[in-house]
Amino acid sequence: MKMITLKKVVIVSVLLGCLLILVVLLSITMGSVKVPPLRSIRILLESILGSKETGSETERAIILSLRVPRIILAGLVGAGLSLSGVIFQALLRNPLADPYILGVSSGAAVGTIFAILMGLGSLSFGLPIASFLGALFTVIVVFYFGRQDGKIHPNTLLLAGVIISAFLSALIMFFISVSQKEELHTIIFWLMGDFSFSNPQAIRMILPYILFGICFLYFHAQQLNLILLGEEHALQLGVNVERLRLISYLSASLITAASVSVCGLIGFVGLIVPHSVRLIFGPDHRLLMPSSVLVGASFLIASDTFARSLLAPIELPVGVITAAFGGPFFIYLLKTRKVIKTL
Amino acid sequence: MKIFFILFILIFLCTSVSSPATHPFKDEVGREVTFPFPPKRIVSLAPNITEILFTLGIDEEIVGVSIHCNFPEKAKDKIQVGSYISLDFERVVSLKPDLVIATGAGNTRDMVERLGKLGFPTYVIFPKNFNDILQSIAHLGQVVDREKEATAVIQDMKRRRQKMVELTHGLPRPKVFLQIGEAPIVTVGKGSFGDDLIHLAGGENVSGNEKEMYPRLGMEEILKRSPEVILISSMNPKGDYRRILQEWAHWKMIPAVKNGRIHLIDSDLIDRPSPRIINGLEEVARMLHPERFKKY
Amino acid sequence: MIEVNSISFRYHQDWVLQDVSFRVEKGEFIGVIGPNGSGKSTLLKILYRLLDPQRGEVSFKLVPLKRMNRMDIAKRVAVVPQETHALFPFRVMEIVLMGRFPYLGRLMFEREEDLEIARKAMDWTKILPFSERPIDELSGGERKRVFIAKALAQEPEIILLDEPTTNLDIHHQIDFLNLILTLNRERGLTIVMASHDMNIASEFCDRLILLKEGGIYKMGTPGEVVTQENIEHVYGCEVWVDQHPVSGMPRISLLKKEMK
Repeated sequence: MKMITLKKVVIVSVLLGCLLILVVLLSITMGSVKVPPLRSIRILLESILGSKETGSETERAIILSLRVPRIILAGLVGAGLSLSGVIFQALLRNPLADPYILGVSSGAAVGTIFAILMGLGSLSFGLPIASFLGALFTVIVVFYFGRQDGKIHPNTLLLAGVIISAFLSALIMFFISVSQKEELHTIIFWLMGDFSFSNPQAIRMILPYILFGICFLYFHAQQLNLILLGEEHALQLGVNVERLRLISYLSASLITAASVSVCGLIGFVGLIVPHSVRLIFGPDHRLLMPSSVLVGASFLIASDTFARSLLAPIELPVGVITAAFGGPFFIYLLKTRKVIKTL
Repeated sequence: MKIFFILFILIFLCTSVSSPATHPFKDEVGREVTFPFPPKRIVSLAPNITEILFTLGIDEEIVGVSIHCNFPEKAKDKIQVGSYISLDFERVVSLKPDLVIATGAGNTRDMVERLGKLGFPTYVIFPKNFNDILQSIAHLGQVVDREKEATAVIQDMKRRRQKMVELTHGLPRPKVFLQIGEAPIVTVGKGSFGDDLIHLAGGENVSGNEKEMYPRLGMEEILKRSPEVILISSMNPKGDYRRILQEWAHWKMIPAVKNGRIHLIDSDLIDRPSPRIINGLEEVARMLHPERFKKY
Repeated sequence: MIEVNSISFRYHQDWVLQDVSFRVEKGEFIGVIGPNGSGKSTLLKILYRLLDPQRGEVSFKLVPLKRMNRMDIAKRVAVVPQETHALFPFRVMEIVLMGRFPYLGRLMFEREEDLEIARKAMDWTKILPFSERPIDELSGGERKRVFIAKALAQEPEIILLDEPTTNLDIHHQIDFLNLILTLNRERGLTIVMASHDMNIASEFCDRLILLKEGGIYKMGTPGEVVTQENIEHVYGCEVWVDQHPVSGMPRISLLKKEMK
């Protein structure tokens, strides 16, 4: 009898973890400047061990100060957005839900654009904080309006989120219309999502949210399964549905807010990865959550690597790659779904 | 029969005499433009055009300028008709210009066509490098009947350019990175004014081989190309020079950073095809070859 | 086992249930009947604490429901709902295993014993051959059995059924009800069933509670409750009541206008 056991989850996670490591290693070796693969990996290993022998100063800078932070950040954001996608889809009981549907991303955008227009901070410092504050404010407002009779209701939440999102979009359009050419460029650049400004501060900023979110939410995996069966079923089985909704909403929103603050709006990941993983591994959250996290990290790291290597020295926006590769792959999965059996 | 013939001649004479003297000019994008000459009411749609006109001694004739026109000071007092991409046609109509002057590098073709349909002759200039700017000044000199002044300006600019070339002749060309955008990092490639200036000033543009005029380079590439001088073109009035310096400070293996050769330069001087481009050239030359300028 | 003490409930302005009291003894098969809007479903929802009454109290073995932990309630009371449509296509096995949730604790993963219990429940409800199939591939009757199996997996002392025979054809209705009856007789499970089908209730239940406009009109054996008078008063229409030819239980037949 096939079912989800701890052993199966561990095996799948280890396999996907190996895939992730492979993607990371390949990404270290790829880039607009040719650094021999073995040398790149040696530089990486040496930095972990603390020595500095291989490669010129420039090569070390390229590997350690440019590629590694990007890879780490892309991995964290990919993991975070995929996980929030899973959570929002369960919370709103809507397969079309993605992390941005409740307006968190629009709030972050407003925060960022406002900061850009006021000349506060740059993409490395300052702006991420403004994004995060914008996102946080939106989370609270949507939460306040998404309640019905004092309880979170998926449909009301969805409606509140969509409407507030629309309002924020109008605000964004207004800001864009009054901005100067130089600011405009920066705004559009941020809106498309980009990892070229990855640095250790950004990593430090989002790491706690992502890690905490992943661990904390995993304990609620089985409860999320139950809630998908139906609210009444879940309640009847002993799940505190209201509390679960609150936790899901807040955690997933915080993870999304943190992700968007450091790299802008990268689309597709939060929608494609959960669906693809669900098509391959099934809807049980005990397996879906860790798989989505690992696949999401690999996917975004790979996309970012392509974005910066494909047309070197020109960098493409990473959002273009996620859509261009994610879309067809997902359609392929959809067509062959009947063939791939759930494990 | 004779009467008809005389009538015909009279009518012909009348019609030709009643219209004012007009000159069909050919503008820099090959269009034939006919307008009353010399034009007494001119609208300028770009800041470089405004600067050229003022340099040629035109002031009262300018009845409308763009919102970007900030030099000379007097330009700021003129009535504004719009931006590069968005024109307030009603205002243009109300100003009743004889001639509108636009630039191919900035204003849109739609704008120019629409102006034509509304009955406003529009002369388009399209300078792409230093020499083109000299040409444009000459052309505009003809258009506004200030050819003598134009020649004087051009001679002066040529002389100063020659001086820079001589001063920097034979010196090793430092590798230069000209940054015109902060996020993303945008630089200047082949065919841009910045690239032209760097070359004339005795430097080598690290992005001079890029096909795009304003390529976005990744940091990896910049590191690899190791510029010796970094010029930052400030377009953003709220931009923080210190902040940009802080960003660059992370990359100490770049010679320009290590040796502190990061300079701020006014973008109006190096990216605007106007007479002040020669000031830009002199600035850049000074930044690239400071030892040559110590005497000044 | 269950004591309902003077409960009153309303959703908004109007009271749906008013001052309802009754007891359910262990091993009983109770039927709750009444017209639409009389409060049958609401009463059931209160019994498993989906809703809390504004007045009055429900106790399970003398412990008020309000003071019980949700998980504890889940270990004692199982529900087979009216709707069996699942939003995501979980497999039969997965759904039945969800019934073990109250017993899993922090662990989250089912142990061998949980698997055993689930298997037995599926065997009992004769859906073991379907265990790997996604639920959306099953028929209405089969789906109902999946949810009974899930309820059984909860190892409850009492099972609540909300309009269980809607959308089932005769064959499945009979199978289902016989199954429930067996659960009641052989396994000693207490059953409370809300149904709009009075003949079924009369046939299978030990005791009936007839609700009218949020209050109990009559409570007792089918013979006491299903009478022409009671039906007329509660439903406001004339029916013919006689006895089921085989079982002797009261049986209602509809009357066309001309027949009276």
